[in-house]
Amino acid sequence: MIRPRTLAGRYARTAYLFLLPAILFFAAFFYLPIGNVVATSLRTGPQADQWAGLGNYTQALADPAVRHSFLVTVAFAVAVVVGSIVLGLALAMALDQPLKGRVAFRVLLLVPYLTSVAIVGLLWRNILDPELGVLNRVLLAAGLPAQQWLNTAPLLTIAAVTLWQSVGYTMVLFLAGLQGIPETYHEAAKIDGADSWRRFWRITLPLLAPTTLFVSVMAVISGLQAFGQAYIITGGGPGDATDLSVFHIFNVAFRTRDFGYSSAQSVLLLIVIVAFTLVQLRAGRRGEVVY
Amino acid sequence: MRRTLLYLLLGPASLVMVVPLLYMLSLSLQTEAETLSAEAVVWPESPQWGNYAELFARAPFGNFIVNSLVVAGAITVAHLIFDPLVGYVFAKFRFPLRNTLFVALLATLMVPFFVRMIPLYVLMANLGWLNTYQGLITPFLMDAFGIFLMRQFIQPIPDDLISAARIDGASELGIYRRIILPQTRPALAVLGLFTFVFQWNEFLWPLVATTTPEMRTIPVGLTLFNQEYFTLWHLTAAGSVILFVPTAVLFIFTQRYFVRGIALTGLK
Repeated sequence: MIRPRTLAGRYARTAYLFLLPAILFFAAFFYLPIGNVVATSLRTGPQADQWAGLGNYTQALADPAVRHSFLVTVAFAVAVVVGSIVLGLALAMALDQPLKGRVAFRVLLLVPYLTSVAIVGLLWRNILDPELGVLNRVLLAAGLPAQQWLNTAPLLTIAAVTLWQSVGYTMVLFLAGLQGIPETYHEAAKIDGADSWRRFWRITLPLLAPTTLFVSVMAVISGLQAFGQAYIITGGGPGDATDLSVFHIFNVAFRTRDFGYSSAQSVLLLIVIVAFTLVQLRAGRRGEVVY
Repeated sequence: MRRTLLYLLLGPASLVMVVPLLYMLSLSLQTEAETLSAEAVVWPESPQWGNYAELFARAPFGNFIVNSLVVAGAITVAHLIFDPLVGYVFAKFRFPLRNTLFVALLATLMVPFFVRMIPLYVLMANLGWLNTYQGLITPFLMDAFGIFLMRQFIQPIPDDLISAARIDGASELGIYRRIILPQTRPALAVLGLFTFVFQWNEFLWPLVATTTPEMRTIPVGLTLFNQEYFTLWHLTAAGSVILFVPTAVLFIFTQRYFVRGIALTGLK
């Protein structure tokens, strides 16, 4: 307190000294690339060096392949979100009961979350393969007809595979949320004669709203940027049925080598993701319950 | 009755999670003929441990393993060094532009990797860093999420502790290393585990940033191996087991940290 000015100055100097690596890192590997992706999206040509203005954007918005990949991606993300919430919550509620072996169940359900998308993709491509796949060999041996899920319902199938990997994560989130709800609410409702169905809709679900919102925001964000599922399992097919956006962008960038056009599509997808997130946050805030 | 229903939900669900991974192990030990036989093989007649040797003979799998260890290891160490340091500064220091910088940091949470993918590729190509460790490592040296986690964890540490150390003449770096860091150990464990597992499993950037087989990490090397030898499922499965075992072992010993870590990410 003797020389506050210099003391404050010294702390500020220390703070900036400690921050220096971070400032350089985020400038070089986040803000510079973000600036560059926007700059590149306004250019065209094999070197992405000719000014195109908004040409790439108008082209992308009118391109049936791009529009299709956006639709496919949104459908995929919605399937993953719905599945994450329904299955994750169901499993979490089951695990929230006093049961023998709940720790073991929790561990087993969480195991696929540790696997790389490479394992998820390769393993399920093998399991689901129409000819060599183990699932069809089991079905045939049991006298049941072979299934071709990757041809008949490719998008739902890769969404299900994605859920296989991620549902343990949502389950743990919901479990933490459930354990945060004070027991007294349930007890009071029980005394008032509410059955478990009513308690679920009137107490559990409303009080769980922040967790549900978080799960749904996270699932939408990761669902909209899924890549490996298309790259490894389906190759975007059959036809273009699973041409997920990031897979589409990857191909335009690194197979067609059109950096300008692919950059514009990246920016558009980012806008879609931010828009979805804001809409969910706004909807979530409206439904918020204070307790 | 109620209990039976719960077991009827949790039992099959757990099987769906684990059986495919056990099948992957079985597949990795089958002969090529067994992987193709009309009847599904549950467990191979005689386990073919030689499949693993064959995998190393057909692809530079030793390189993949070393590359994955170097890249995931280096990124984890970098996170453990920088995330708590930056988190500490935002938790305990007042300085000009503090809030602006913090908002700028949190804003990077809204930037998915694919947005950076193309410009980073161009940057690395210009630097000559494609197919190098520095090219694979530098884009992930720290992240806003880890910094935020550490800041939340450091904030409750009493300021008096820091002031007292200053009065005792401790250096600023000394205060950080001897007073702050030791108290963040549980958070550091969570941060280190998550960073390592995520980077070990990372797929998109190593796919983009490497073209020579020798520089691939396991997830990418394995996937491209499978594209080349797409009928040799026993070998692909062997590679998958190699990719999975380290994370599985880590998980067995630290599953409590994982569960706590996930719950932490969900905090409002």
